[in-house]
Amino acid sequence: MTQVVFDRRRVNGPEESHIPSFDSKDDEIWSLGQPRNGRGQTDIRLLFLQPRLIDQANGSAYVETQRTKIACAVYGPRQSKNTAYNEKGRLNVEVKFAPFSCDRRKTPMRDAEDRSIGVAIYQALVSSLRLELIPKSSIDVFLTIIEADGLEGCIASGTIAASTALADAGIEMMGLVMSCAASIMGKEIWLDPNEEEARSSTGVLVLSCMPALGTITSVWQSGRMKTDEVLKCMDVCQEKCADIHSVVAQILLEKV
Amino acid sequence: MASTMTPISPQEQEALKASIFQRLHPRIYLERFLSENIRPDGRDFDVWRDVFVNVGSITTADGSALVRLGNTTIVCGVKAEIAEPELDRALEGFLVPNLDLPAICSPKFKPGPPTEEAQVLSDRLNEVLLASGMLPLSSLCIHPGKAAWVLYVDATCINYDGNAFDATLIAMVAALKNTQLPKATFDQESGTTTCSRKTKMPLEITRTPVSMSFGIFDSTHILSDPTAFEEPLLDTTLSVVLDSDGQLISLSQLGLGSSGAQNSLQSCMTAAKKRRGELAQYI
Repeated sequence: MTQVVFDRRRVNGPEESHIPSFDSKDDEIWSLGQPRNGRGQTDIRLLFLQPRLIDQANGSAYVETQRTKIACAVYGPRQSKNTAYNEKGRLNVEVKFAPFSCDRRKTPMRDAEDRSIGVAIYQALVSSLRLELIPKSSIDVFLTIIEADGLEGCIASGTIAASTALADAGIEMMGLVMSCAASIMGKEIWLDPNEEEARSSTGVLVLSCMPALGTITSVWQSGRMKTDEVLKCMDVCQEKCADIHSVVAQILLEKV
Repeated sequence: MASTMTPISPQEQEALKASIFQRLHPRIYLERFLSENIRPDGRDFDVWRDVFVNVGSITTADGSALVRLGNTTIVCGVKAEIAEPELDRALEGFLVPNLDLPAICSPKFKPGPPTEEAQVLSDRLNEVLLASGMLPLSSLCIHPGKAAWVLYVDATCINYDGNAFDATLIAMVAALKNTQLPKATFDQESGTTTCSRKTKMPLEITRTPVSMSFGIFDSTHILSDPTAFEEPLLDTTLSVVLDSDGQLISLSQLGLGSSGAQNSLQSCMTAAKKRRGELAQYI
């Protein structure tokens, strides 16, 4: 049941509404133990990336990995208001889910999920930027998730989109940040899990790194994983990030 | 940052001068273009921007549409939920349209609650969708007084370049036309509604409202389909909403009505009718 918070600033529906319940289960649902649907264990979903989509922004990118669709815009570096003097620039990352982006409608109020993805993308990006070069300024990175298929996929694709948009905006950085997710499925490691796969896996890991420098910028792991599994996941992810990096760098070269 | 350090060519320098002039004196910049009978983006006064409509690309929504009007890009998704009808309208469902203008789409919007512009646009869209009767609310009834569909029609702007009202209305109507609702049955004993996974039906849409907006600059020039640069400089904004037969659904004029207002209204109506015919292929 979703309780609609009464908000005078929006057109409101009924006080209470709930999602439809169905007579049968969705037959397309995949279950644990079956081989992976449509791709190999270390295959990631096809990535479509287009920089410079939003012309009012300093830099922008649109990324699509099958069902996941994310638009990202970078505004800045611009003067940061209402903040005390700071020798370093500030990076703000704001993530917003479109109300229709998930199976269940998202009410317009921001919830914890937006913030946690925002923080994860912030962590992935912040060490790649040379914020000491832009004192008193802020860089705003806005992401709108148009369609989501797995939280981990959103973090990974969002990071790639944001880093591409930052490069498009001409903001100085150490290197492009690429990101990839891995999940533990029984004894196997499956890369770039979608929502169903992530739900049935025992542990998930999202790794973000700068392949050009060979440095990791952030690792986010949740669920149960053995230490050697974590290391193994990080290795495969890093390899995959290097592959994605060459593609993204090529796309940027063609555009700029 | 790197680009500012590299030397720039004379052409780039000219372009930079023009863009600085545009930002500092937007009104004079526009006046100079209009006196040459052309607009800053190269259009004639009565020319509309190209429309692109793509429906059904979002699988998490029950119906969806992506609309581009020039550079303005709107994504709209319909989510269907079930609720108890209002006591005084036991036979009717709900249609809840909202437009969000998030900070991503333009530097003039800030993150946070809906801006005044978004609130006004949402309210006008709600008015047009309900007034047009494009979707009889009685067709959303599942069981009188017990259960009815609620259609949340949420639109988000990804790229803002003016005339969001026209683009959003196209997106909302296209998304509603794309919507498929599962067949729902209300069980009197348990008081619950169950939907069928197999049978889906489109909505009973009776009319197709499409809006055409104009801006009047300096009480003399009628500009159709204003851009984000032109919008704040306009004295008057006129929106004409017509259905597929060219019948008037809604008309709004915001701002100054000069003595020539009747003439301008007349010419806007004629231009809107012509444009409505052209748009019929998209929606």
